[in-house]
This record gives sequence, C-alpha cells and structure tokens, in this order.
Amino acid sequence: MILIGENINIMSLTIGPAFKERNPGPIQELAKAEVESGVDYLDLNIGPARKAGGELMEWVVNTVQEAESKPLSLDTTNLVAMEAGLKVARSKPVINSVSLQPDRMEQGLRLAKQYNADLISLLWGAEGMPRDANERAMHAVNFVYQANEMGIPNENIWIDPIASPVSVEINQVKALIEFMAMLADIAPGCKSVVGLSNISNGTPTHLRPWLNRTYLIMMLKHGLHSAIVDAFDTDLIALVRGKKPEIVSLIHRIMDGEKPDLASLSEEEVKYAKTVRVLTGESLYSHSWLTI
Amino acid sequence: MAFEIPKTTYNGKIKEIKLGKGDKAVTIGGESSYPFYLFESEMPHLPRIAMDVYDCPPVEWAEAALEPFAGVTDDPVAWAQKCLKDYGAEMICLQLLSTDPNGLDRGADEAAEVVKKVAEAIDTPLIVWGTANHDKDTEVLRRVAEVCQDKNLILGPVEEGDHKKIGAAAIGYHHTVIASTPIDINLAKQLNILLGNLGVPDELLVMDPTVSGIGYGIEYAYSVMERMRMAALTQQDEKLQFPIICNIAKETWKTKETKISESENPKMGDAKKRGILLEAMSAMTMLLAGGDVLIMRHPEAIKLVREMIAELTKA
Repeated sequence: MILIGENINIMSLTIGPAFKERNPGPIQELAKAEVESGVDYLDLNIGPARKAGGELMEWVVNTVQEAESKPLSLDTTNLVAMEAGLKVARSKPVINSVSLQPDRMEQGLRLAKQYNADLISLLWGAEGMPRDANERAMHAVNFVYQANEMGIPNENIWIDPIASPVSVEINQVKALIEFMAMLADIAPGCKSVVGLSNISNGTPTHLRPWLNRTYLIMMLKHGLHSAIVDAFDTDLIALVRGKKPEIVSLIHRIMDGEKPDLASLSEEEVKYAKTVRVLTGESLYSHSWLTI
Repeated sequence: MAFEIPKTTYNGKIKEIKLGKGDKAVTIGGESSYPFYLFESEMPHLPRIAMDVYDCPPVEWAEAALEPFAGVTDDPVAWAQKCLKDYGAEMICLQLLSTDPNGLDRGADEAAEVVKKVAEAIDTPLIVWGTANHDKDTEVLRRVAEVCQDKNLILGPVEEGDHKKIGAAAIGYHHTVIASTPIDINLAKQLNILLGNLGVPDELLVMDPTVSGIGYGIEYAYSVMERMRMAALTQQDEKLQFPIICNIAKETWKTKETKISESENPKMGDAKKRGILLEAMSAMTMLLAGGDVLIMRHPEAIKLVREMIAELTKA
C-alpha cells in the first residue's frame, strides 16, 4: 500500500516558521527523514494560504524537490496555490483535495485534467460531512461521474471517505469501514485514501498510534490503497510493510468475529485486540480503553 | 403463525446503590431493562425525586416556583423540612449557590455548617450540589464531607478536574460521589474509570450526564443517556452500569419561557401552569431516557411525574 507522510505541515512548530521565512533547511531535513522512514509520497500542507499562496506552494515544492524525488501530495484549499504547485511538480502529483462543494469541484477537476494529476476526492458534500456509508457511496458515484465526464479516468481518482474521531461518533467510524467494503463495486478502478490521524483526534497523544495503526489494518482488510500517516510511526510502517503478519492476522480475525482469549496473547496483541473492539463499536471508547 | 413481539436481549444490569442511611435510606438502580420496559425485564426500584433547596434566598425566580415555599426560602433547614412535611419529599438536594465565586462567594466552613444543620434536621438522603467551579467545589465539598462524616451524603458535581480531591474525601468519609461530565458518553465512561482507579467503590458512585430543559437541548442529554443505557444493558459495559441523576429543575426554571408573565405575553398563557408543565415534561423525558433520580422543584410538577411513574408501572 501507498503511504503519504503527513509531517510537512504548516501547523508544525518548526515547519510553519520555515514556510514563513522561506528557510529550506528544516523542510528538506524533514522530507529526507520521512523518506528514510519509508513513505512513498510527501504531503505538503500549506494550509488555506490566503496571501501569496501560489508563490508559497511553488517555493515549497521546489524546496522539497531539491532534496527528494518522491512524488508529492499538494495539500491546500487554495486553488491558485494548487495550480502553482502542479506547474512545478516533477513526478505525477496528487491534488489533495477536491470536495463535492459545487463551487470548488469544477475548478479542482479542471486542474486535475489540465495537469494530468491524480486527485483526492474528498467526500464532503454541499451539506458537509456524509452521515453514513450510503451518503459516502452517493457522493463517490457523483464525483466519479462528473470526473469521467471531464475525461478524468478512474485510476487518477483517490476516494477519501473522511475518517472522523472515535471519541466523537462511533457510527461514523463504523460507516467508513462499511464504505470501504463497498468501494470496489461502486467505483471500479478508483483508488482509496484516508487521513488516518483523524481517527485519534482528541485522544491523549501517546495513545494515538494504537488507534491509527489498528484502524489502518482494519481498512486494509477491505483493500485500502493509501493513507496519509505520521511518517515516524515506525510500528505502523512495519505493519503495512508485512513485518508483523501475526498482528494483521489477529486484527482481521477479530473483525471476522473471533474472540481471542486475552490471557493467551502478548501484551502488544492485547492492545490491538482491545483497540479493534473499540473501533468496531463492540466496546465503548474511553481514554482508558487499553487499561480496562 | 402468531405474531410475536420482538424483545430486546439484555445482558447487563444497573448497579443498585443505597443512598442515605437509616429507615429513610433509598435504593436506586437495579434495572435490567430499558426505562419502563417492564414487559422485557425488571425495574426493581422506581425512580426517585429529590426536592431542590437553596442555601441562600433565590433571586429572579419565577413567582410560580417561589409560591410553594413562601416564608422558608431564607432558611434552608425550614425549607427542607417543609419539603418533607408538606410535599412528602423522599430526598432533598441542597444547592450550594451561596458558594459561587462569582456570586456571594461564601466560604467552605460556613457552607459546611449549613449542610450539617440541614442534614441533622432531616432523615431522608441529602444530595449536596456545588457550583461546578473546580477550586471552590474542592474546598467546599471536602469540608462538607468532613463535617458531615457520618451522614452518607451524595456529593456533586465531581468532574475530571476535581475528582481526585473530592473523590478522596468521599472515600475517606463514606459519601456517594456524583460523577459529572458534559453530555459526552465517552467522557462519562472515562470519569467512572478514573474514580474507580482512585478507589471510589462502585456502591458509592452515581452519574450526572449534564441535562437541560425542553427547548434548550434536552435531546442531546436524552441521546447520551439512551446510549449509556444501551452500552450498560446490552453491551455489558460495566463502567456505565451506574444510576443516573438529573439536576433538571434549575435547567427548566432558569429559562425565559418559565419566567415571562402572561400579561407580558398573553400568547404564552398562564405562567404557573406553563412553568409546572415545562418542569414536569422535562423531568419525564429524563425518566424515559434512563434517569434514576430527578432533582425537581415545584410540588405540582412532582405530583404529575409521580402519577406518570405510577401509571407506567402499575401491574
């Protein structure tokens, strides 16, 4: 599967100022470290970039490309900045993202077509967040139809069904998994992607990786193509790269209804088992979910 | 084939918690069904109603809410006794409004003395409710716990920010803790876990999900309580198998809909009837969502809810 490193982000305390001061050092160092850690794409999140967004994105893309050759995911809601990034990107980049809001969708699709870029279809409709798996499916079908109308092929489309925090609404967490299982049928040939860290938003920082990793492996069961992740979660990368097949198998078996005897599992396995139970809604989330 | 009514399968039970002491102690909880689903399982202890008493004379109360307590609102002891004697209260909730740092800011010692006097004057369980200011509640409720150490009080609200100190005092002096969270089921579960980790025994714990009146978001409280009961009764979530207490009276009577007089707005109709009905209907809604204890104010509203409970549970 494809991993997109999320770490080059305007919200970061080192990267934000480096963007502002046009200081390439910290950005290039982080890009190298992410690639070394094992990601396939680098996400460049410059935020809404209302002022001089075009100039900023162009500079960030060039700065990163001087240091690394991995393809880029251009992450901004500013379409002028998006276009500036697309113009200078060397490998086929990903537009992150185009939502279904009518005023934005057409422009986003036009850019994807013009620059032959991949694009993330964020299933965010005119009425905001989809409420369940069916609304996600409806949005996905509409998006793909309109993209095809403009001549964009399915293989360029990465569907992002929007992960949301487990501490907010468990039904949304379940709906995403349900949608993943439907995606291959409703949009054949399309790819899928999730902003993984959203699942653990609101959870104490040191516990977030357990939710991120477990949810990723759960979606992998339904063929998830890619995820935007913390490049420095080495366990997550090890799981995805096949280094811990017994954990992947455990998670998938619990999803299939197996109820392992916790006493027979290792400490690490117990944590994954408890996390699956929380993410499937079998056990209600609380910040202490790993210890009870 | 004859039609068979589908039934919910329950695999959990709410814990039975004894409040107060002596002959007038009450036991709450114990449900093994959704509220009033007596055709599916049991509700061994009917919901209880505690009557609101304030530790300082009320300001800006609706006339209808003051009328039943004329002459006693400046004396919490007399007020509590009136609730027992004239209105048959099963429990009293003493609201320590006077300790509010943004109001009278009365000190912990003075507040605790008032609690003690009330506790000594009544034989029913006594709920003591602070102001939800963590620093002040810590100070006041710890003092109350100590001064009333043999009284088996029910102390709240105990929130994540002050649970350690108030929880420790409750354990030390054997009072029940009201675990209070802001309309969020995950946080409610978490606080119960934290209180358990601290050493608060299950039999000294009840939950306050934070409630609101009709027209002011009661549906959010309803939905959180409903989900608590689903987790507790059908998912064996032990950390949510606690009785729920609803501090509902002050949420209804503080609204403008209970305060506007008929002369100010004739379309709103009789103010007394309106206030009573808003309180009774809000309270009843809380019972249908899983409330075990209601904190109520107007005797007429209480009467309506009691009748409804009797109606829903008659054989």
